Amino acid sequence: MTIHHHPPEDLLAAFAAGLLDLGQHVAIATHLVGCPRCRDTVRTMEHVGGALLTGLPPTAMSGDALAMIKARLDGIVPAVASPPRRATGLSDVPGLPKFVREYPAGPWKWIAPKVHMRPIELPEASETRVFLLKSRPGTKMIEHTHTGFEMSCVLSGSFVHAGGHFGPGDFDLGDGADDHEIMIDSADDCICLIAMQGDLKLNGMIGRLLQPLIRM
Amino acid sequence: MVKETPNSAASDAARWAALIEAVAKREDREAFATLFEYFGPRIKAFMRRSGASEQGADELAQEALLAVWSKARLFDPGSVGASAWIFTIARNLRIDGLRREKRAGRDHTVEIDPEFHVDEGPQPDAILAGSQLESRVRNAMTLLSRDQLRVIELSFFDDKAHAEIAQTLQIPLGTVKSRLRLAMNRLRGLLGDFS
Repeated sequence: MTIHHHPPEDLLAAFAAGLLDLGQHVAIATHLVGCPRCRDTVRTMEHVGGALLTGLPPTAMSGDALAMIKARLDGIVPAVASPPRRATGLSDVPGLPKFVREYPAGPWKWIAPKVHMRPIELPEASETRVFLLKSRPGTKMIEHTHTGFEMSCVLSGSFVHAGGHFGPGDFDLGDGADDHEIMIDSADDCICLIAMQGDLKLNGMIGRLLQPLIRM
Repeated sequence: MVKETPNSAASDAARWAALIEAVAKREDREAFATLFEYFGPRIKAFMRRSGASEQGADELAQEALLAVWSKARLFDPGSVGASAWIFTIARNLRIDGLRREKRAGRDHTVEIDPEFHVDEGPQPDAILAGSQLESRVRNAMTLLSRDQLRVIELSFFDDKAHAEIAQTLQIPLGTVKSRLRLAMNRLRGLLGDFS
């Protein structure tokens, strides 16, 4: 798998700093599954975080903090690596991070000719919705604009738009400024994980008819 | 900011790693107290900057140190430097704290740690041992410009959108992103030079 499109550095930094909301975090984590280069960047950034932490001017702890904490040490059971949790309907989707595969997911829903979507239920409130989008080969996606940003991670298949060709592992960031005209150019279905903030506005009459359906 | 000579960065990284390992192997309370004295006040400062109250930051710092104690055996010095490891513990507690606030008392726990475990695909070719990477990153950071360090620091610690950082630094939003990108590229370049 050769990856050509990566998330920008500022998003990887925000991921490493733990500042993304869960939906965006899921999208970046999905890209990381297939991208050793970005995993390396995130690892480097976590070390940047460590260096920044040690460089902070210390703020005194409350006077009895050490005594209090020492008193609690005896009762602490050493942590072990977490056991695998139950598998859910997403366990069969290739390319998702393990923790995402454990999230509940709804059934595939028809949203447009040759296009289905499957919502992923996040365990925490998030301003960003996450869903899988499956498009049949040759699908030309309805032109749309969105009021927020949209992150797409290709899990299988491929698509092409003005910004380039996107295959498995590739990451595409739409910032709401441009209209995408997307064409699925793989021989098989193209499945993407999408993290989307804001509402999707579909252009054209069919789009306006579909809009109530696409709001999850 | 980080101002250390190459040698002290390397020895600090190794010393902290040794202290965590002493906790893991022998439940060494002296080693723990040393980690507590050094990292506690810094984690507290980190939590304060992220918006926690004085008391909240104190509690989160204590929780972080308790996690250092209970998770010490999971510390793998081959893959992560000591202060980066402690940073990730503090980071995950901060996420947990913010989520708890949002849930406003509703009882519900989701473990944060698995959300950062994504090493399932192919590995990068060269992996530096944790403490090596740690001291190299620290040395490389001393070579960044003040502006570059400042934008990295703001984007890491203050739970601020880039728009707010732009306001704080009085530079355009695009400059925040490009400066951060340049800083990270420079850092990666410097790390490449060191290896």
